[in-house]
Amino acid sequence: MQPIVPEPRNARGPSRRALLTGAAGLAGLGLLTLTGCSSGASAGTTDLPEAAATGTARSGGRLRIARPAASAAETLDSASSLSAYEYLGALYNRLVKLDQQGRTVPDLAEEWSANQDGTEWTFRLRRGVRFHDGSRFSADDAIASIRHILDEKTGSPQAGVLGEVMDARSMTAVDTYTLRFALTKPNAEFPSLLTAYQCYIVPAGAIADIGRTGIGTGPFRLSSFTPAGAGSVEAFDDHFAGRPALDGIDFYSIQDTTARVNALLAGQIDLISQTNLDFATARVVAASDRATIARSKNAQWYTIPMLATSEEFRDPRVRQAMKLAYDPRTIVDTALQGTGSPGWDNPVPPQLAAFVDDHREYDPDKAKALLRAAGRSDLRASIYTSSYESVFTPMAVAYRDAVADAGIRLTVKNASSDSYYTQIWMQKPLMVSYWFTGRPIDQLLNQIFRSGSSYNESAWSNERFDGLLDDARAEMDDAKRLTLYQDAQRLVVEDGADMTPMFGDRLVGLSRDVVNYSEYGFEFDYLRIGLRR
Amino acid sequence: MTTTTSKPSDVLVPVLRRLGIAVLTVVLASLFVFLAVQALPGDVAQQLLGQNATPDAVKQLRESLGLDQNVWLRYLQWLAGAVHGDFGTSLVSGEPVAPTLFTAFRNSMLIAVPAMVVGVTLSLALGVIAGVRRGRASDRVISIVSLVVMSVPEFMVATVLVLLFAIGLPLFPAVVLRGSDATVGELLPTIWLPIIVLTLAMAAYIVRTARSSTIDVMASEFVTTAELKGLTMRRVVWKHAVPSALLPTLNVVALNVAWLLGGVVVVENVFNYPGMGKLMLESVFNRDLPTIEAIALLSALVYVVCNLAADLVALVLDPKLRTRQRRARTRSRTGTRPTRKAAA
Repeated sequence: MQPIVPEPRNARGPSRRALLTGAAGLAGLGLLTLTGCSSGASAGTTDLPEAAATGTARSGGRLRIARPAASAAETLDSASSLSAYEYLGALYNRLVKLDQQGRTVPDLAEEWSANQDGTEWTFRLRRGVRFHDGSRFSADDAIASIRHILDEKTGSPQAGVLGEVMDARSMTAVDTYTLRFALTKPNAEFPSLLTAYQCYIVPAGAIADIGRTGIGTGPFRLSSFTPAGAGSVEAFDDHFAGRPALDGIDFYSIQDTTARVNALLAGQIDLISQTNLDFATARVVAASDRATIARSKNAQWYTIPMLATSEEFRDPRVRQAMKLAYDPRTIVDTALQGTGSPGWDNPVPPQLAAFVDDHREYDPDKAKALLRAAGRSDLRASIYTSSYESVFTPMAVAYRDAVADAGIRLTVKNASSDSYYTQIWMQKPLMVSYWFTGRPIDQLLNQIFRSGSSYNESAWSNERFDGLLDDARAEMDDAKRLTLYQDAQRLVVEDGADMTPMFGDRLVGLSRDVVNYSEYGFEFDYLRIGLRR
Repeated sequence: MTTTTSKPSDVLVPVLRRLGIAVLTVVLASLFVFLAVQALPGDVAQQLLGQNATPDAVKQLRESLGLDQNVWLRYLQWLAGAVHGDFGTSLVSGEPVAPTLFTAFRNSMLIAVPAMVVGVTLSLALGVIAGVRRGRASDRVISIVSLVVMSVPEFMVATVLVLLFAIGLPLFPAVVLRGSDATVGELLPTIWLPIIVLTLAMAAYIVRTARSSTIDVMASEFVTTAELKGLTMRRVVWKHAVPSALLPTLNVVALNVAWLLGGVVVVENVFNYPGMGKLMLESVFNRDLPTIEAIALLSALVYVVCNLAADLVALVLDPKLRTRQRRARTRSRTGTRPTRKAAA
């Protein structure tokens, strides 16, 4: 059930983390002294490595991954909101995927083109691809898989996104390897919507029980799977892009973050997935002999949504003041200890090609003036946080301190992590939140910022912004479309209600034996990752 | 003899009353747990979906989980089933609750029983030793160590042990990898650290209670009498002092045993140990009512049984209780009973 939003499974870690904060801290101290003694280096000053180790992997070997399982309801059906995220990339392929800059690149589709107005898209599919059960991949499988996403009964989070431009009858197989989409509205960014991790392609005949069988075209085939338990995948020799470096991967589910870290340090596992380690723990791991840290750059998109419908933040001048009043660089320095980049309230991550690189000013005096003009010079509010994610509370505190200069008095309120996203999120006027980066630009802006979208966490509504997004979708000229997206970003920075103080690197714990670990957005390189010779 | 007529009511009435209270306790526990779960924010669908809990998605999931029914109705249905031994199916996994709970309970027993046997024996012995040798060096060491162990929370002990014996010196695995799929054979190498943690966590309390009650008993008149009679110290301690000293300790032991059998959330979590505590934490997080109710029922049962057992053992151990009965019987023959009736 993962990452369109980082979720409940993450929530469960922290709910225990709340319970065990002390344990982690104390364990940290203990480990620091232990490793400090053994390596003779002062662990307290260990810098976190910038990049994962690269090199030639030995052929074969099994990687052991510890993951925070969502719940016993999890399934291998990627379309479902309860999918077991880590398995998906190993088992399946999509038609298209994203590169590091957020551009759509081939996966099972080799090339694609649109008609003049972007209402008809034709994908030419890769030939000679086999599913794990030996059957051949064809356009019919793609059609069935996407229909399954659109099917109301599946309850897929991507159904709404795709449903806006198409329905089950929009697809036709022109021939075995040609797939045509006749959209209900023009969309120049349509292929990027198929890069979501719900859009994996499975055999048409296997959809009914795909949640258990996991049959796909991916580099690994399923050998066992228990929801919220252990499972294994084995190298698939007939994978179209060649055999993976590993012989197989064993997935184990460990709910407690401290327990996952202990397992890594004890050498029981090689990689901790979907876990952003807190700094104390990350330093301990980096200083240990067996394990180290790799960063998934700007993987965590931190936000401070102001509810645009609330009495406090209805006035755009107040929202503007809340932004001008703080310097995101200080938040990065304190809350992230430098392991990230300032966001300057632009939700588009800096690595994306569509990113507009002219950031707003930092001007507490202007913020004060705006508040005076709005009649809110004595702005008092509560900012909600929880132990849901390790950076939440440091971020809330850093933000509170940063805006104090502009006369804004915030009280930090800590809420229970296990109901944070059901009771606080989208309900309290001011709170901290986060998403995983990895959405293509069109989906990012439409899903989180468009009026009325169910993921619009600040309930912001701006007609001009919605209009820009519509224009962009209808604009087939890449350069002109880019300008529209950049205007939309500027509008979010100026008027929007969802602040983006920063993008944080995900601090991933992994064994020193692991080479070629690479992960960005929702893309994990299962093909090249391997174990050191 | 008259004893035959008075005996059944003497023993049966209190036992029946105890049993009645026990059943009531269990039923009430299930009701309170139900109310508590209702008071928690969010339902299964919302908890599972988290940030993806858009109105449409929640509605869709609720329908597919059968949550559109009235909660009270579902509770009563569950209760009716439970009376017949059917604990229903989990709202999350869709699997029947009973086998899942049984596996988790078995796994918990695997660490609880050894911890219990070792812990109770060891701590009673240490407590008595400390009590008898009050003020001597051995007493000081035992008292201070038990005080320290008592003050350190068990997750801390667990973490330190993992640090020393799984990471520093890789003798034991740090966590259970295979989760609820693990067989007893697979669990065996992993149970040692949890057992040590539980033993330590439990032992400290028992040591301290046993010590103080031993001190009390050793200062009492009948021990002095026994000593003056010329009995050896060993005989005085084991024959006379210990049985009396154990009495006040019994309830502490019973509570600790129940605590162990009820699954120890924190310890199981640190070791990723697939027992009842972990199952409970997960089902509470997911608001999986049938599973929570089944766990509550089992835990309440364990508590009730442990306390009942403690009372029965007390009956066996307590010389006063036995003699009082004998005295009561003699008195009834000499005409005390009519007076009591008159008073009533």
